[in-house]
Amino acid sequence: MDTLKIDFDKGTLILQNVPDTLKSELPDILWDERTLTFRAPAYRYRHIISQLRAHDVAYEDSARQFTVKSFTNQKQLSPYPYQSEAIDAWHANGKRGVISLPTGAGKTFIAILLIADTQRPTLVHVPTIDLMHQWCEVLKEHFEQEIGLYGGGQHELQDLTVTTYQSAVMHAPHYGNRFGLAIYDECHHLPGDQYQYAAISSIAPFRLGLTATPDRVDGKESRLYALVGECCYEAQVQELSGKTLSDYRVVTIEVNMQDTERVQYEEARRTYLNFLKKARINMGSSRGWQTFLWKSSQSEEGRAAFKAYLTQKQLSFASAAKQEWVWKLIQRHRGDRILIFTQDNDTAYQIGTRFFLPVLTHQTKLKERNTFLNGFRDGTFSILVTSKVLNEGVDVPEANVAIIVSGSGSVREHVQRLGRILRKREGKQAVLYELISKKTGEQFVNKRRRQHDAYQRK
Amino acid sequence: MLTKDLLLYKIREGQIYPQFVKPTDSNLLSVSEQLISVFEASPNTQRATLLETSKHIIDSTAGPVIVKRGLEKLLLDRTEFDTAPNEELIAFRQNLFIETSRLLSQDQFTDYEEYQEKVLQIAGDESQSEKGVLGDRLYADLPSCQPVLSFRTLSAEHLLHRYNTAQVQGLLLHCNSLTLNLTDSMTAELRQLFKYLRFNQLLCTIRHVDRHGDLSLQEQKEKVGNNDFYQITVDGPLNLFYKTKRYGMNLANFFVAVLHQPKWEITAEIQFRNKRSSRLFLDESCGIKPISQQFLAYIPEDIQLFQEMLRNKTDDWQIHPGSQFLPLPGDFYCFPDYQLIHISGIEVWIELFHPWHQGHLLARLNTLADQTETPLILGVSKDLQKQSIIADALEISEYFTEFGFTFRDVPTMNALLPILNSFVDSDS
Repeated sequence: MDTLKIDFDKGTLILQNVPDTLKSELPDILWDERTLTFRAPAYRYRHIISQLRAHDVAYEDSARQFTVKSFTNQKQLSPYPYQSEAIDAWHANGKRGVISLPTGAGKTFIAILLIADTQRPTLVHVPTIDLMHQWCEVLKEHFEQEIGLYGGGQHELQDLTVTTYQSAVMHAPHYGNRFGLAIYDECHHLPGDQYQYAAISSIAPFRLGLTATPDRVDGKESRLYALVGECCYEAQVQELSGKTLSDYRVVTIEVNMQDTERVQYEEARRTYLNFLKKARINMGSSRGWQTFLWKSSQSEEGRAAFKAYLTQKQLSFASAAKQEWVWKLIQRHRGDRILIFTQDNDTAYQIGTRFFLPVLTHQTKLKERNTFLNGFRDGTFSILVTSKVLNEGVDVPEANVAIIVSGSGSVREHVQRLGRILRKREGKQAVLYELISKKTGEQFVNKRRRQHDAYQRK
Repeated sequence: MLTKDLLLYKIREGQIYPQFVKPTDSNLLSVSEQLISVFEASPNTQRATLLETSKHIIDSTAGPVIVKRGLEKLLLDRTEFDTAPNEELIAFRQNLFIETSRLLSQDQFTDYEEYQEKVLQIAGDESQSEKGVLGDRLYADLPSCQPVLSFRTLSAEHLLHRYNTAQVQGLLLHCNSLTLNLTDSMTAELRQLFKYLRFNQLLCTIRHVDRHGDLSLQEQKEKVGNNDFYQITVDGPLNLFYKTKRYGMNLANFFVAVLHQPKWEITAEIQFRNKRSSRLFLDESCGIKPISQQFLAYIPEDIQLFQEMLRNKTDDWQIHPGSQFLPLPGDFYCFPDYQLIHISGIEVWIELFHPWHQGHLLARLNTLADQTETPLILGVSKDLQKQSIIADALEISEYFTEFGFTFRDVPTMNALLPILNSFVDSDS
């Protein structure tokens, strides 16, 4: 019988000359009528090779287009004990798996040490362009070599490359056989309908997932573990608070709307709720929002209800009373490094325009993003207003005050926002303020998001 | 393309029906004309002004708002905005924020107004800003303020056809594969169809559905165009393992080529997130006119070069772009790139394989193994040949040894002519 051959084809593996006796042993291989070959998803590469070796089957491997590479970490820093434990756990798990640590606990540093240990070309996946550039800088600093970037209009592959998830979904079918180690930062994104194909289309035998919060509301974390490996190490924010993370407190401020705003709010809310009732729309159901969008577009009354919906939401998010509180807190924390979070861009720009502050949103161009972030880190700017782009991963260790003007009901979002101010600094006491409009729907939203451990303290 | 909130469809008994507009509807034609004229006049105006004017048309004219918003979205897709950074404003902002940061870190203000006055003083030194104007100026380069650079116009009727196409494309984004039946398609339109297929990195299985029993290959070719049809299942490599919508965008883009076929039917299973799937069935009777250009009269550059090279070497062969399916052993079909006709009437086809056709080539070598009946020459790019699995497969393929050649950029006559002539020799 001819030698078994294995090759990479658009995010899959093609196998030729597969012995009949072996077919049932190889995971996920299927006969492809379209190309008259056996085929398997690329991420099964490691398992297939292991099986071939276990059965002592000779094979020719044209799929793998990477070799051992030496990466030397130029910075001699020692890991904290919990970081060493995480590294050991990942190795013990067969160089696969998810490490779950709170923001600020040094997940990136763990990844740096594992890249140096693993000695394979590495592709780092991140959810945003900001994080892509941040990782690029960190990798450059540690390994002192050219770093490839794939995403945000850049298409350069190097032995160490950083890509966005979105770009990887599109391009992994072309380069998915060039990396031996795949790192998935903020890996709770990976099980998404499309993002998972970034991992499926890659043959990388070694995989590392990093996150502060692996759990997903849709329960798809099991998909994450199937693609990256089980959660091999986990530590909670409270375990590290005051030790490797800054000590912190959360202060909730209930804000009374001004009388005129209250009247506007009540009227708008009434219009909105009356329409829901009349049109028999249950916003609690899974199709509630879509039904509302559809029905509200069908009549004048519906369009008025939609406008009212936006008005009441906008008033609770960004009332004048909240802006007064923002002013008070800015004054109270003179000399501190403050991050102001909003739910939407409009509110962020309203605050930025009113208080003459730098605003960072997805609309901010790359060069200015870097100016704002670096300026905030080095103290040129003491306050930064943002909507959601700083929720995840972006490292601003100097921040010690966060003001949440508005947000969603997502527990994850709020834990992540809290995480922005938790990075340890000598004598740092972090404080997170939540501004909640009294007697509005925001109070329910606030209750929902406070269910995380990190909030169970004062 | 239309976003999901702009799609109009009905689901009945597991069947999904896109809600098309009538391209002859006088009201919608009028609305379209109004919207198009607003967009035509938009260069140099700001995005917000454009949207405000078009919103006014949407709100003040008759007809379903969702359709009008869909038309607006398609027009926006044809509009180019100036997104280049405004360096002067960026520098102004940066300098101002350095000052405000210093003020807020160091100074205690009795109230907000005092702070505002101070900032306006600072800004006024540089920009003569007046009270109230500074706020407006600060972020005056946001997308809503971006000016329109250009707009690719189109007729109102074309817009409505494009809208109907977008309705189908919007659904196809949520499907995992597409089955296409083609009748009467032994024409050059197929070439365009397969170019789209390859360009979109899709795979397909082509079957000849024969209602006349077993026929010879030649007879099958002649029969198509009556009651028979080709059934083409289009999807991507990973569809073998997952019911994935990974290729939804590729399939949606591919659909525009289907519209150029004279008689077609598509079937697709549409599944929105967390919803039960529904079947989409559509054929040419839906009346959507092609929205992309057709290049049937256009002779691609590679063909022109090929023709020239051939003419310089011999007058015995004429070359044409491939325009029909070629039956292969085992109920398979391929769509060759070129057809060559000898003065004696002998027809030979050439199929070229580029570096990204690895899977296709392996399949073709398997299909053609152990026979020499098919008049098909295989041209393989040298870059593809570099892959060891391909090099090995070519080396052991008797068919390729006899009917194959390799090429760097375009096939050369020196490599091709001996193989072509071998068909003439064997026929005589």
